[in-house]
Amino acid sequence: MLRLIQIEFLKLRRRKFVWLMLLAALFMPFFALLYFKYVKELGGDPLQFYRWSAFGYTLWFILPVVLGTLCTMLMYEEKQHDMLKQLWIVPISKMGYFFSKFFLVLIYSICFMLITAVASVMFSVLPGYVEFDWGSVLYLLKKCLEIGVLTSFTMLPILALSASQKGYILPVSITLVYVFLGFILMTVNMYLHPLSSMAVIVMRNGDIPGLVFTQALNIPLAFLCICVWDIVAVLLANIALGRRK
Amino acid sequence: MKKLLWAECQKIRRLNIVWITVFATVMVAVIVFLGGQDVYDGSRNIDNAGWYMTMAQPWATFFVLPAVIALLGSYMICREEQEDTIKSLRLIPVNEVSLTAVKMIVTFAFSILLYLLLFTITFSVEAILHFSDLSLEMVLGFLKAYFLDGLGIFLAISPIIAFVSRMKKGYWLALLFAEIYSFAGLFMSMSNFLKALYPITAVFTISGYYDASTSQVILSCISLLLCGCLSAFILKGLKHSEKS
Repeated sequence: MLRLIQIEFLKLRRRKFVWLMLLAALFMPFFALLYFKYVKELGGDPLQFYRWSAFGYTLWFILPVVLGTLCTMLMYEEKQHDMLKQLWIVPISKMGYFFSKFFLVLIYSICFMLITAVASVMFSVLPGYVEFDWGSVLYLLKKCLEIGVLTSFTMLPILALSASQKGYILPVSITLVYVFLGFILMTVNMYLHPLSSMAVIVMRNGDIPGLVFTQALNIPLAFLCICVWDIVAVLLANIALGRRK
Repeated sequence: MKKLLWAECQKIRRLNIVWITVFATVMVAVIVFLGGQDVYDGSRNIDNAGWYMTMAQPWATFFVLPAVIALLGSYMICREEQEDTIKSLRLIPVNEVSLTAVKMIVTFAFSILLYLLLFTITFSVEAILHFSDLSLEMVLGFLKAYFLDGLGIFLAISPIIAFVSRMKKGYWLALLFAEIYSFAGLFMSMSNFLKALYPITAVFTISGYYDASTSQVILSCISLLLCGCLSAFILKGLKHSEKS
């Protein structure tokens, strides 16, 4: 398995676009910088800054869309060049292949959030909006790691869908709908969609300012929601890859 | 030109991407409907006349529709080369500039049709829920707004379609660029000047979703026309690879 993961990383060297997508991690920290410069006074509270730079749209939208695109790219490019046949001849296990891709997504997701964390600290401390404080920085790092790990699990259904499709148009379009659905369902029922369940887990302590939950927090139910979607996704991927010759 | 347009319409019937864009539009309507179940001030949002037709516009525009329209447009332009049909078209011979122009016209029509589809869905739901609360003036106002949204969004994203078609690095990049571009509109709407200038939010200034002064409307029109000119300029120099 480790060998497969290593190979996946070696393949990434030729995909410049995958690395370029990491730049999206700077989008919200940069926007937060502009927001607190021109629109609103920060008042020295680092959590207010991090809420905009890392716990807002990055969590809800940017990271899931980037990961959805990555999942589609990882699955599509091998199908496009008919590499899968050669991989099956080696032979490699179909689920091993699927999980090696997933681990890549997981590590990519963590790296993405770590870049967001570093950028958040730099964009808040260097212009002098907040004072450097290890406590808040470690809190940000912890939350970013949580978001990175959990979001990759919530995107497993998109990876499975990409594995089951020949093209990429459907998976990337579904990614948008899937992310948008998670965002909207937050106000209706937080335990129906993996992305809204992930937000419940990340914000379980209610310590992120400006976020108010309208429903009672139930962490086991949130984990259950993610697990159910992931199990269905793995089964779907297993069937889809099993059928592929 | 007429023949090319006819041929494009024939080709498009076989494309799955058309059904995917329709599916995405329907899903946006369904998701916003679900969002409307939220209770505010003692009543569900969806029960307020006009709420659904109002809210579907920004949600669809900031999150989904520009990206899928850009994907459709760049797919239609790039597939001739990627599927190696451009050779046969050259043998006919077909003027490549006219071919690209026709594909842009089809994308333009699709942009308007997708927004009208969204209007049809939202209006139908509103009519089922509270027909008596809807006035003819309100419905016609929304119809005009959705039509202008479709027209404006096409102009706003046309440079992305043109740019991706020129880059030849895979048309799905259009989806990603358009997604970032439309998503950034959420933040541009915070400033009155940027709101009128940024093409995605300029669409709302023109369609009447934002209350805007005449100068803002003019600025938005200029911004969208510049986008159209930019895409025409990029596409004019588009030449399909000679190797293909």
